[in-house]
Amino acid sequence: MGASKKKSYGRFFTVPVVISLSILIFLLLCIIFAPFITKTDPNALDLLNVLKGPSKEHLLGTDKTGRDIFTRILYGGRTSLLSALGVVMISVVIGIPTGLISGYYGGKVDMILMRICDVVVSFPALLLAFIFVAAFGRGLGNAVLALGIVYVPMLAKLTRSLMLVEKNKTYVEAAYSIGYSDRKIIFHEIFPNCLPTILVELTLDLGYAILDLASMSFLGLGVQPPTSDWGYMLEENRAFLTTSPLMAISPGIVIIVFVVCLNVFVDGVEMYSDPSRRRMPSMKKLKKRMELIEHA
Amino acid sequence: MKKYVLKRILQFLITMLIVSVLIFVMVRLSRTDPLAAIVGGKQTTPEILAQLKTKFGLDKPVVAQYFSWIGGFLHGDLGMSFKYQAPVSGLLTARLPVTLGLVFFASIIAMVVAIPLGVVAARHKDSPFDVISSVICLVLAGTPPFLMSLIFILFLARFFPSYPFTGSFETVPQYLLRMLAPSIALSFTMIALSFRMMRSNMIEQMQAQYTMTGKAKGLPPKVISWRHNFRNAIIPVLSVASIQFGSLIVGSVLVETVFSLSGLGTLLIDSIKASDYAVEQDIMMLLVALFLIISLVVDLLYALIDPRIRLK
Repeated sequence: MGASKKKSYGRFFTVPVVISLSILIFLLLCIIFAPFITKTDPNALDLLNVLKGPSKEHLLGTDKTGRDIFTRILYGGRTSLLSALGVVMISVVIGIPTGLISGYYGGKVDMILMRICDVVVSFPALLLAFIFVAAFGRGLGNAVLALGIVYVPMLAKLTRSLMLVEKNKTYVEAAYSIGYSDRKIIFHEIFPNCLPTILVELTLDLGYAILDLASMSFLGLGVQPPTSDWGYMLEENRAFLTTSPLMAISPGIVIIVFVVCLNVFVDGVEMYSDPSRRRMPSMKKLKKRMELIEHA
Repeated sequence: MKKYVLKRILQFLITMLIVSVLIFVMVRLSRTDPLAAIVGGKQTTPEILAQLKTKFGLDKPVVAQYFSWIGGFLHGDLGMSFKYQAPVSGLLTARLPVTLGLVFFASIIAMVVAIPLGVVAARHKDSPFDVISSVICLVLAGTPPFLMSLIFILFLARFFPSYPFTGSFETVPQYLLRMLAPSIALSFTMIALSFRMMRSNMIEQMQAQYTMTGKAKGLPPKVISWRHNFRNAIIPVLSVASIQFGSLIVGSVLVETVFSLSGLGTLLIDSIKASDYAVEQDIMMLLVALFLIISLVVDLLYALIDPRIRLK
């Protein structure tokens, strides 16, 4: 397996993929093992050490109530990432079955489901989330639910288009002629073939969800105090932007790094899955390989 | 063509109708009592409450409330704000120039910057300029508008300390100067997305058969790129720009908050927090209508340019 992979042209682990993947894994490990990295409580007030600059005890300084910024970023990462994951899960649970059923059955079912999606799409994305929050109240749970629903149409339309391509293939006809039930054909036969493209889309959505949730928390519609979350931390410390910029902006830098690495990684995966876009080895290496083949 | 236009306009009207019902119902699902928002914590008697109920039309059945709202909306009568106890239209007209200006200037800036950059990057693919601008746009695409605004403020405070962040504006030059920084901050996301799309479309067009023909006939590369490839590459960029318009509208809500501009966005967030029904539903309806009208216009223009769409 290893040998055959080496010989195939174009690699999966290109430089951008390796860098982005290692940064992502590093950040994830830091966030997961936060209690082992810092011993400070993210919500512990320390009114004697307010707005301190970076030091050995407080790597990124403290905020206006003396809470350690570094610790809050690590713990805030849990809130941000878990809730972004929640957004994606909600869109998966509703969007994928909708797309599959809509594409498979077509006709009236398809028309009704797609018209509903069109209505949702006719709102500028976050605005719909604002409306949901206005209806059901502020808070992290409602923000996650609202964004999850906002993300449904995109995913449903993607799944539907994949289904339309797959359902006319011979293996579906074969499964039908053996007498498989519709449910088995849709979920056991066709769905696994749509999965790679859907997974790429979901990873991208995760990045968008992090950004959108941060925006909602920043506006005070998402996370409520004292929970720490990257978006809400930016709002909390905004007043000290010019006096202590590092403290005010560091959660934002973590957001950018995380989302950019996620996008670079997805780009790499997409490039690899489309052979015409695969990064080729340099001409020097190709010539060497040619020589090896000729000698053999 | 006529059939397509009629169909598209009908579709627009139906969507507006559904959207208006949806907004109306969602706003009314809120568990906060609208009377509490009107009274605002002051002591009252049941008589005053009943009076207020009639004044704001809350005693009528919900269906009648919907029709009086939508009827008023179409005639420019936007109802009364609960919190400010003033006509919503007055509140909105004062704030409309800020939000519309932000969205308008940001999209102009984005197009003016992103399109030429995309073409140049595509023409010199893999050159240092291409790599650097692609990396910058990758980072910009991962930066939400409010964060961009914060970073931008930091930058301005360091290098242009005299820039007016606060205070009101009366004259047109003052207004333009005040809008400049937020518009630039808002435009970055759109620059990133338009740049990436323009660049990849251009590269695709430069590999097309007709480009080869042009080269074989001895046309200068500049003429092929700008007169032939560019025209084909820009159409999808403009159509996607109309979709991005929606994210600009929402982005302006965030940018207004950071730059403490009193526009529609800040008013919307305040009214959501205060359960101010009238203001909430009017602003949302206005923003969605703006978004839908823009996409309608772009679709129609698109059909005018591209016969494949109108004949489908």
